[in-house]
Amino acid sequence: MLSEHVAGATSRRGFLARTGRLLLGLASGGYVVGAIKAQQAEAFHFCGHIYTTGSCPHPTGLPRIDANGFPLRAADGEPVDDLGRPVDKLGRPVDARGKLLRDPDGNPLPPAPRTRLCAKTGREFGFRGQVDGAWYRCCNGHIRKLVDCCGYTKYRINGDYALTGYCYSGRHVFCVMYYDTKIAC
Amino acid sequence: MAGTVRAARHRGRAGAAFAAGLALGAAAIFVALGALGALVSGRAVVVGAVALGVVAVASDALGLRVRPQIRFQVPEPWRRTMPLPRALFLYGLLLGTGLTTYVPATAAWALPALSLALGDVKASLAIAVGFAAGRALPVLFLSETAIAERPRGLRLLRVLAAASLLAALVAGRVEAAGTVASPGGDPSAAGADLAWQHPGVGGFLRRDDTTTQLPGNDPAIGATFVAWHAGADLTVADRATLTPVVQESVPGLQKLAVSRSWLAYRTANEIHVRPVTETGPGTTVEKVKAPATLGRPALGVDLVVFHRATAAGSWITAVNVVSGKRLRLRHSSDAQLLNPSLLDGRLLYVRASRCSQQLVLGPLRGGRDRVLYELGPLAGQDAGHERHHTSQGEHLPCPHRPRITAKMLWTTALSPTAAYVTVLRPGSRGRTVPTLLAVSRG
Repeated sequence: MLSEHVAGATSRRGFLARTGRLLLGLASGGYVVGAIKAQQAEAFHFCGHIYTTGSCPHPTGLPRIDANGFPLRAADGEPVDDLGRPVDKLGRPVDARGKLLRDPDGNPLPPAPRTRLCAKTGREFGFRGQVDGAWYRCCNGHIRKLVDCCGYTKYRINGDYALTGYCYSGRHVFCVMYYDTKIAC
Repeated sequence: MAGTVRAARHRGRAGAAFAAGLALGAAAIFVALGALGALVSGRAVVVGAVALGVVAVASDALGLRVRPQIRFQVPEPWRRTMPLPRALFLYGLLLGTGLTTYVPATAAWALPALSLALGDVKASLAIAVGFAAGRALPVLFLSETAIAERPRGLRLLRVLAAASLLAALVAGRVEAAGTVASPGGDPSAAGADLAWQHPGVGGFLRRDDTTTQLPGNDPAIGATFVAWHAGADLTVADRATLTPVVQESVPGLQKLAVSRSWLAYRTANEIHVRPVTETGPGTTVEKVKAPATLGRPALGVDLVVFHRATAAGSWITAVNVVSGKRLRLRHSSDAQLLNPSLLDGRLLYVRASRCSQQLVLGPLRGGRDRVLYELGPLAGQDAGHERHHTSQGEHLPCPHRPRITAKMLWTTALSPTAAYVTVLRPGSRGRTVPTLLAVSRG
């Protein structure tokens, strides 16, 4: 048995068999890696989003929100106001270190409006925006909740016809947002 | 033209007639442009004029061919058919408009555009005088060969024109937003007088080009009064003599405004108004709960205006002190409207939105607002899409990549000729340092 194994391992046929398996492995590995890359770089602009509806307009770009629908900065999850500035829990602007910004007299600078992203979008585009349903995906090691901003609108933010998505009672998806939970996946 | 003037029997009279015609022609055209500019000038006109000025500076500095040129010449028969002084006066009149004969420097084309952009009759008159002098002096004092037959003379003339125009453009930029005090902020203006606060030092009053330190903080001026406070101790004084008119203690006093008849003041959460010569808390016209804030009050004849800022929106409100009637002058549910001031039915305020910060001047009750000064937004934006994902479906907040700044536009004041705005620069531990700027009202 051992002699057969040694013979097979050292024979010309055995060498060809190993080389063939290696090439097959490399080819299939490349295919898998390519497939993953293709999935990541498909026509969806953030992880977990699987349709083509565009982002809701957000003060800093990517439509990240908190559990109540208020805007968060996508890079670090810091709450931001409608001007895109980081703010504290009361909506007052803070500096890069989280210190409250103050006027020369030492009073906190005034808060700017901070509006729920879907409501603000609805106001801007002329409908009453509301959140109906959501779906979940695993993104960057955490569960991400993907949220449709719905309204009684025929068109979506892309300019073409809106889909039903996770909207109910005849409402359609106008744009999409996401909420990153702290639940690992 | 130089030959015609020099050939005159009375060269002095001929030259004076020519110069007078030039001055009159230039004044007519530039003053008309200045008056027109006062009606139509805006950001686009200013940008266009500055762009034209930069092109002219480059063209003259590099000695490029002067384009366009007008081939229309002054009527030659006049010098044969008219008395020479009259003919020269009329020649000057035509040349002064800048619309006849060749121009030796491209800078000549930038001047009408600048006059239109300035929209100011006095400044346009100054441009006209400069233009007329520029055309008259070579004719009166240089020989024809100095310019016409010696290229170096013309080259020097064009370089000088480019340098003058460049200096005017730079000066215009400085004038557009000149620093009044640094550190300094919270301006208050009345006529040509200006008061402001130097943090940690006290209030200052500039009157007749003399700056005086006041014995208190947060000065406000209006009518013949100046008001300040030292802690809770409020003083209203005669502005010329600084003799106190009213003195009393007002707990929690932070900011002041004063007019001919009224005194308004802000505490941490309230705005009060009362007759200027009386004492007591007066009428509470606005009250908020933190974190909402009230801005510094400003007074008109019988109106007190102020901002109220909350996380739900931003308002500029006017209250008629006599009738108690409230007017919502401006409101925004996504931008921040701050620190209004008013004068003669015009409202000046700061508008901070997602993509810019603007110092805005407009009619009190709304209408077409005009941007006097602008800074970039206070926050940047991300790529709009995550890494390894495409840009399909992304929506970026600003149409162009914003030039972010940490500087914030803050309190304002309005005078007949200038708008004042405090610019806050973030310092350490959340503190801000103010700089007071003066911006031409245009």
